[in-house]
Amino acid sequence: MNTREKLEKNKMENKIPAKDRIIAWPRMGRIDIPLKALVISLGAKVVIPPANSNKALEIGVKNSIEGICLPYKLNLANYIQALDKGANTLMMFQAPGSCRLGNYTKMAQKTLKSMGYEFDMVIFDMYQSKMKQTLQAFWHVTHCLNPWKYYKGFSLGFNKFFAIDTAEKLLFYTRPREINKGDAEKCYEKWLKITDETNSVLKAKKLKKQIIEDFKKIPIDKNKEVPVVYLIGEFFVLLDPYTNQNIEKELGEMGVEVQRQIMFSDWLEHVLKPSLFYHRESHRERSVRYAEKYMKRAIGGECIETIGDTVYAAKHGVDGIIHISPFSCMPEIVAQNILPKVSREEDIPVMSLVIDEQTGKAGYITRIEAFIDLVKRKKRKKLKDNVNLLSK
Amino acid sequence: MPKQIGIPRAISYYNNYPFYYGFFKSLGIEVILSDKTTAKTINDGSKYVVSDTCLPVKVYVGHVVNLLNKGCNTIFIPSIQSTGYKINNCSKVRGLPEIIRNILPQNFTMIEPTLDKTENINLKDFCRQTANAFNINDEQKIKMAIDNGFKVYNSFTEMTRAGVSYKEALDNAINGKTVKKTIDIVKPISVAIMAHGYNLFDERISLNMIKKLEKMNVKVYTSLNVSFEDAIKSIDEIGEVQYWANEPELTGTAAYYLLNKKVDGIIALSAFGCGPDSLMADEIYYHCKERKVPFIHLTIDEHSGEAGFVTRIEAFIDMLLRKKRNAIIKRVDINRKSAAQVITINKEKVLTSSVK
Repeated sequence: MNTREKLEKNKMENKIPAKDRIIAWPRMGRIDIPLKALVISLGAKVVIPPANSNKALEIGVKNSIEGICLPYKLNLANYIQALDKGANTLMMFQAPGSCRLGNYTKMAQKTLKSMGYEFDMVIFDMYQSKMKQTLQAFWHVTHCLNPWKYYKGFSLGFNKFFAIDTAEKLLFYTRPREINKGDAEKCYEKWLKITDETNSVLKAKKLKKQIIEDFKKIPIDKNKEVPVVYLIGEFFVLLDPYTNQNIEKELGEMGVEVQRQIMFSDWLEHVLKPSLFYHRESHRERSVRYAEKYMKRAIGGECIETIGDTVYAAKHGVDGIIHISPFSCMPEIVAQNILPKVSREEDIPVMSLVIDEQTGKAGYITRIEAFIDLVKRKKRKKLKDNVNLLSK
Repeated sequence: MPKQIGIPRAISYYNNYPFYYGFFKSLGIEVILSDKTTAKTINDGSKYVVSDTCLPVKVYVGHVVNLLNKGCNTIFIPSIQSTGYKINNCSKVRGLPEIIRNILPQNFTMIEPTLDKTENINLKDFCRQTANAFNINDEQKIKMAIDNGFKVYNSFTEMTRAGVSYKEALDNAINGKTVKKTIDIVKPISVAIMAHGYNLFDERISLNMIKKLEKMNVKVYTSLNVSFEDAIKSIDEIGEVQYWANEPELTGTAAYYLLNKKVDGIIALSAFGCGPDSLMADEIYYHCKERKVPFIHLTIDEHSGEAGFVTRIEAFIDMLLRKKRNAIIKRVDINRKSAAQVITINKEKVLTSSVK
């Protein structure tokens, strides 16, 4: 058996009969809501591990090697917590050929087996239009043959992804501008709950509109001077609020509008839709285009997206960039090396934050505050210059 | 103006220099090497990159700076993306030209060919890109240069596989000579080192580890002693799947010696913060535990104090010696008879051979 075949075989284990399967997957932000909807529609049972927390991190650190990156430690902890809660099938996607992510599942499988757990691991590749493989993985897990159920599951899942991302974007916009503090947050939490409870396709399709309308009702101060900051960096750290210490909320409360270019639904659409039906310029293509001056080739991970987004931001009047990455993340270290030059040449302030298990929140907040002060000062100066120009 | 190219003495130099040398020589391009790594090289490199970057990349930047200071204005910085379908290198090695381009303020020409087998850019294209940068477009000439490159490279690997040390093999291969392996003296302890070539054969980065071990009367096996095919086969046999481009050098070497039981222990040497190494060392640690072979993972960074490093190696070797001695004593005690027989048999053998 050659290596490739072995790899393929390891991907989809099949020891537990489909009807006994209880499925779990690692946590990353709120992806549990749409995925739950999808898997339950296919008729399988689901265990959701508790959200990432200090406890999860402790479990992860204890059971993984020292040199591995933070996302793996949390993923492993999620698996352990899910298995303890009764799960017996673990799902995970991977994108081989990028960075250490391609090795996560292999390692987790080995570690968990040496810890004495018994389970099936189902792994599927996710890069450019892998709808077939994804469907296969879900078929493998559930053995569901009813196409209507697939339609229902996937459209529920997708609509929920879009709904959550819409709510998140509106939350980022509203939070710094709201007049009664906490309104936007409450609205967001409410809609997350509603999204989670929705289980008909028709209702799910309406979610997005309803969310937009509801957010419009929150009283906001439209004339407030709000600097816009882009969050860029590593995928997992950006999407998981525990890992990034809820930087979006901190920034929002400081009166800064956060924008994030990496949105789960965008990525998912780009990855799953066959290229025939995908007409827009994807985020990655756009990044490659913008990063051209600094990078001539993609080097794995989200490095080129980071650089491309920074240039894009500078050209579209964004006031500052915060770059977050986990400690020892290889692609992001390359990005960190390139960013100072981009910042200098495109005239945009950039701050890099590296996150590891020990990041103290106080020091982190101080750095963000100092950076935001800088951004605000710079913005004010720019406005003044513009006024002077006009009066001349 | 004579054509010349500067090659930094770091990263891919340690694996591919014989090839590069033969290739450029055949094209009529003069090769300028940077000086050997010193503390100054590391300091020069560290000045330009962020602190999280690993030591080999810092050293690489230092070497590029060294070449620029020497007045060499054309520098060869290849981007070796993948060496097989979805078998990639570490991001930092893949992005070397991107890093260098964006951190050094000096003006210079960068020759940055890409090798990416996932995207079907193979070695031939890699060489063509390099030659085209010098306005050499003659296919025949390029083909001959590749052949010449492989000639030097093959004689180099042939020598190292036979047991000639890295430095000696490199010098001889470049001068077009082939030397035979010196007589092998049997040593009480042998270890295999799994490390990237650029960590192990750089005397400053590895703190001259091979020499230190040899001084302790230890036989050292490195990735140079294992052929590529053997390494790939060993990875398969031990039950791993190749994921990194450097895996034959590390996992492959360690697996090869684990499987044929030639060594008493395995030493992993990696730079602090190295992504692929953290995983590969862990894989091998797992197999070592299963086979009860001692394993030590040494991490180096730019501050590596030599004393602490030596102490750890010494302790490890002492432990190996004690283990081996105990094993022999145990065997002798239990089967005193059979042990005596073995000795007599050996004697006879010695006698017969000397008689002949």
